[in-house]
Amino acid sequence: MTVVPARSSEWVRPVTSREPASAIIEIDRVSQVFQTSARKDHVALSDISLTIEEGAFVSILGPSGCGKSTLLYIVGGFVSPTSGTAKIKGHAITGPGPDRGPVFQEFALFPWKTVLGNVVYGPRQQGVRAAEAEAQSRTLIEMVGLKGFENFYPKELSGGMKQRVALARTLAYHPEVLLMDEPFGALDAHTRTRLQNDLLNIWERDRKTVLFVTHSVDEAVFLSDKVVMMSKSPGRIRQVIDIDLPRPRRRNELLLDSRYQKYVVDIERMFDDGDEGGPAS
Amino acid sequence: MMSPAALIRRAAPVLACLGLLAVWQVASLVLKNDSFPTAIDAIRAIPDILGDKESLINILASLRRMAIGFGVAVLVSIPLGLLMGRSRGVAAFFNPLLMVIYPVPKAALMPIIMLWLGVGDVTKTLVIFLGVSLPVIYHSFEGAKAVEEKMLWSGAAMGLSPAQRLVRIVLPAALPEILTGCRTGLVLALITMITSEMIARQSGAGNILFNALDMGQYDTVFAMIIIVGAMGICLDAIFERVRARLVRWSEPQFDMPLSFS
Ligand SMILES: Nc1ncnc2c1ncn2[C@@H]1O[C@H](COP(=O)(O)OP(=O)(O)OP(=O)(O)O)[C@@H](O)[C@H]1O
Ligand SMILES: [Mg+2]
Repeated sequence: MTVVPARSSEWVRPVTSREPASAIIEIDRVSQVFQTSARKDHVALSDISLTIEEGAFVSILGPSGCGKSTLLYIVGGFVSPTSGTAKIKGHAITGPGPDRGPVFQEFALFPWKTVLGNVVYGPRQQGVRAAEAEAQSRTLIEMVGLKGFENFYPKELSGGMKQRVALARTLAYHPEVLLMDEPFGALDAHTRTRLQNDLLNIWERDRKTVLFVTHSVDEAVFLSDKVVMMSKSPGRIRQVIDIDLPRPRRRNELLLDSRYQKYVVDIERMFDDGDEGGPAS
Repeated sequence: MMSPAALIRRAAPVLACLGLLAVWQVASLVLKNDSFPTAIDAIRAIPDILGDKESLINILASLRRMAIGFGVAVLVSIPLGLLMGRSRGVAAFFNPLLMVIYPVPKAALMPIIMLWLGVGDVTKTLVIFLGVSLPVIYHSFEGAKAVEEKMLWSGAAMGLSPAQRLVRIVLPAALPEILTGCRTGLVLALITMITSEMIARQSGAGNILFNALDMGQYDTVFAMIIIVGAMGICLDAIFERVRARLVRWSEPQFDMPLSFS
C-alpha cells in the first residue's frame, strides 16, 4: 500500500496501475477562511493541494467540521476560496456548471416538483427532448429504487428516499464530475450497500470522475481509487492513500480480501493515532 | 359520506353567520333605535339594491377598480419583493423607501393624490394599488430571502442563469409565502376600495353606503355592509381555494388537531 504524504510541498502524484490519466481537477494551495459572527476568522481549509485524475473515484474522509463540504463547494464553483486556485481541465473554476454535478448533504430537492419532475429538470434544462428525458429519468428512478414514487412530492418521502432522488437528479444530466457529499449518509445498511453497488456499476460503465465525501472508512475503501484523509482545525489533508484493489469490485469478495481488510484497519488506526480521534460516525 | 367532524367543520361558518344575525336581530329589537334596523329589514333591502341598475353599475365599478389595483400591485410587487430578497443592493435601495410608506395609512394619502389626479378612477385605483403592494412586497421579500441556497446552487449546476433561477427556483420556492401576502393584499384591497370611495364620493359601493347614511336610509346602509362583507368573504374563499391548489406540495399533510389555523 502506498501512503503518500500530503503536505503540499511533498505531494507526489501517485503512479496508478491503470494507463496514465490526465488531471481533471487541480486544487492548488486552497485556503478558506470564514468570518464568523463572533468576528473571528475561522480557518475551514488550510493550504489544500490535490490533483484528481480523470475517471478517478476519490473519497474524502475526515471528522465532522474539517471542511469536506467546503472543499466540495469550491470545486463545484459555489464558493470561491479565500486563496489558492481550483481548476477543471486546466481552466480556473469561476462558477458552477453542468460539467460538475453536486449531490448535497441537504438534498436540496425542488419541493414543488414531484420525484419525476426533479429528476427530469436537469436534462430538460440541457435541451433533451421531453419524452426522452422522461424515459431516462424513469430508468434512473427505478435504479435508485423509487419505482412507484414518481409522482410523490419531496415532503412525502423519507430522508433516505430524498437522498436517492437527489442522486438520480444529478446523474440525470450526466455531469463529468460527480461531487457527492455524504450521499448515502441517511440510508439503512441494506439500501446503502445496494446504492454503493449501483454507483460502482455506473462508474465502471462511464468512468465519471467522482469526488465522494463520507464518514465511513469501509465505504471509502470499497469505492475509491484514492482516499484523502483530512484533519480538523484547520482543515488540512493528512494523507492520501491509494487503494490498490482490483476492479470490478464485488462486495462479498472484497470483504474477505485481506488487502481490503488491511486498508480499512490501517486507515482506522491512522485516525486513532491522530490527535482528532477517529472520523465521526 | 362525510364524517360528523367534517360535517361540523363544513357547517361551522354558516352557523357562525346565522348566530351573528340572530344576535343582531335580538339586539336591534331590544334597543329599538332608528339607526339600527333589524337583521331581517337589512336583508330585505338587499334585493332592492342588487336589482337597481344604478347600484349595480356602482358596485361593478368598485370591483373593477379593485381588480385593476390588486392585479397591477401583485404584478409589480412580486418581482420587486423577489429581487429585494435575493439582492442586497436592491433591498438596500428600496427598504428605506418602503419603511417610510409602510406605517402611513394609504387613505391618508388620498387628499394629495386627489389634488394631483382628481377624484376619478385613477386616484382610487392608485390607493388600492398602494394598499395591496406593501404586504405583497414584504411577503415576497421574506419568501425569497428564505430560499435554501443549495437549491439555487443545484439550479446553477444544471445551467440556469441568474434570471432563470429567479423565475424558476426563487418564485416557486417562495410561492407559499407570496400567496400569504396576496391574501392579506386582497382583504386590504377591499378595505382601501371602500375607504377611497368614502373620501372621494362619486361612484362605487362605498358611495351608495355613505349616501344612504347621509339620507338616513339605515336599511340600505346595513344591507350594503352585508353585501360588502359577503363580497370579501367570497373573494377570500375563492382565493384560498386557488392558493391551496397552487401550493399543495408545501402544505402539511395532516390537520393538526386543536390548531387554530
Ligand atoms: N458559511 C460559513 N460561515 C462560517 N463558517 C462556516 C461556513 N461554512 C462552513 N463553516 C465552517 O467551516 C468548517 C467546515 O465546514 P464543512 O461544512 O465544510 O465541514 P464538513 O467537513 O463538511 O462537516 P460534516 O462532516 O459535519 O458535514 C466548520 O467549522 C464550519 O463551522
Ligand atoms: Mg459536510
